[in-house]
This record gives sequence, structure tokens and C-alpha cells, in this order.
Amino acid sequence: MLVLRRRVGESIVLGEDIEIEIVEISRTRVKLGVRAPRHVTVQRREAVNVAAENRQASGMLPSYGPDGVDEVLRLLKKHLNGTAKGAGTNADM
Amino acid sequence: MSSAASTFRGPPTAGRPVFQTSHLGEIEWEPECELFLPAGLPGFEAERRMMPLEIPAQRPLVYLQSLEHPEVCFVTLPVRTIDPQYQLRLSEDDRAALLLDPVRQPEIGADVLCLILLLPASGTVQVNLDAPIVVNLHNSRCIQSFSTERAAGYFRLGDDHWEPVC
Repeated sequence: MLVLRRRVGESIVLGEDIEIEIVEISRTRVKLGVRAPRHVTVQRREAVNVAAENRQASGMLPSYGPDGVDEVLRLLKKHLNGTAKGAGTNADM
Repeated sequence: MSSAASTFRGPPTAGRPVFQTSHLGEIEWEPECELFLPAGLPGFEAERRMMPLEIPAQRPLVYLQSLEHPEVCFVTLPVRTIDPQYQLRLSEDDRAALLLDPVRQPEIGADVLCLILLLPASGTVQVNLDAPIVVNLHNSRCIQSFSTERAAGYFRLGDDHWEPVC
């Protein structure tokens, strides 16, 4: 991995048209500014994992169908009934 | 659930605008229930308008139906039906995106609605409590919050309880 030292206001350039600037440095965080063409996707690393999960989640209805959702609901209600008997329910969502 | 969600009433009322969905049929479009997602959702960046829907017989499930693409629909649960003690911690950036008070954390139920996506998992479902979908109840702005700092983790719906996924 290439490691570079930069100060606030300085930047690095990737290829010809992507620039990453150090905007602010605090005790535990660095704020970055990115200049890139519109077609370049810029996202936090963890967003990539969440994106994969979201694609999986969007397949829930097509793959389970109404019967599958009903089965999930049955398990869920069983759980909720148990919770209600045990410690009370929380209506806040 | 909350005033943010529309109740699915079956066939729409004559004269009211409708939206044809791929999985839930025709739904009535209620502008006051529409959510605005300034950045979409990861993997679905084009989905800027969504509608939360409840089917009374399927409560507490909440469907998040895209108003951009009829085939895009997520199944979610209010987070506290999974973990009644769940505490939401939003980053400064997330609070800014939702136009929330920059100083204090929002309160689930009073300030925000907090939903968790259901992920299919061989006959049952699992959830990632570290990636909630958060709706500002006062302005209907909506984001998905995620961070490397949280560690609530994944849970799978077992026979009658949520079990942690290792």
C-alpha cells in the first residue's frame, strides 16, 4: 500500500481527474473532499457491504413470495408473544 | 406503527392517484407518507422516493416500496420489535442529512422511525442491526445509517427468537 503524508488543504490525485483533498483533521477523524467525474462512484468502504446486503434484501419478496413472508410473520409473532409475556413490549419503533 | 407509514387498504379509492407495484399490486399514493432519500440507499442510489406501507394482517412488517421503480420493495421491521433496548447512535453526517438537531441524538419514536431490512436466509430471515433505515418523522427525510464503530451485529430469526449470527 502506498502511504502518503498530507496536511489540511493538501491533496492527492488519482489518475487524471480524481482529486482527494484533506479538508479537516480532528483527534480521531479526517474529513476528505473528493473531486471526481460524475460516472465515478465514491463511497465509504462499509457502504459496499451494505449495498450487497440491500441487493439481497430486495430479493426477499420475489424469492419468498406471499407464503414465505407469512411463514416469517408466523415465527415473528411467536417471538413477539414470548417477549410480551416476558418483559412487556415496546411500542416505540 | 407510526404516522409515517401508510396502511395498505387493498384496491385504491376512485380518483386518488395510484402507483402500480410489482409485488403489492396497486397502492394509493399518499404524498404525506412519501419519504425522501437524499442519497438513495447503498446499491439503490436512484431510489430517492419511497413509501412505507403496512398491511394490517402482517403487522409489524413494514414494506418500503420504491416510487421510482415498481419492482423495488424491501421488507422491514421496526428495530425495537427485534431489540426493545436498541439505542440509535447517528453520526454528525447522518444527523445533518436528516436535518436533525446536530447536538443531541434523536429519540426513536419521537424524532425518528428506525427500520431494519429483512434479509432472506434459508427459510427464515436475518437482520443487520448496524445498518438501520432512519426516517425523520418531522420532515420525512430518510437515510440508511451504517458505521464501522457500531457492533450490534447480525441476528437470525430462529424458531421463536432472534439469535446472534456468528
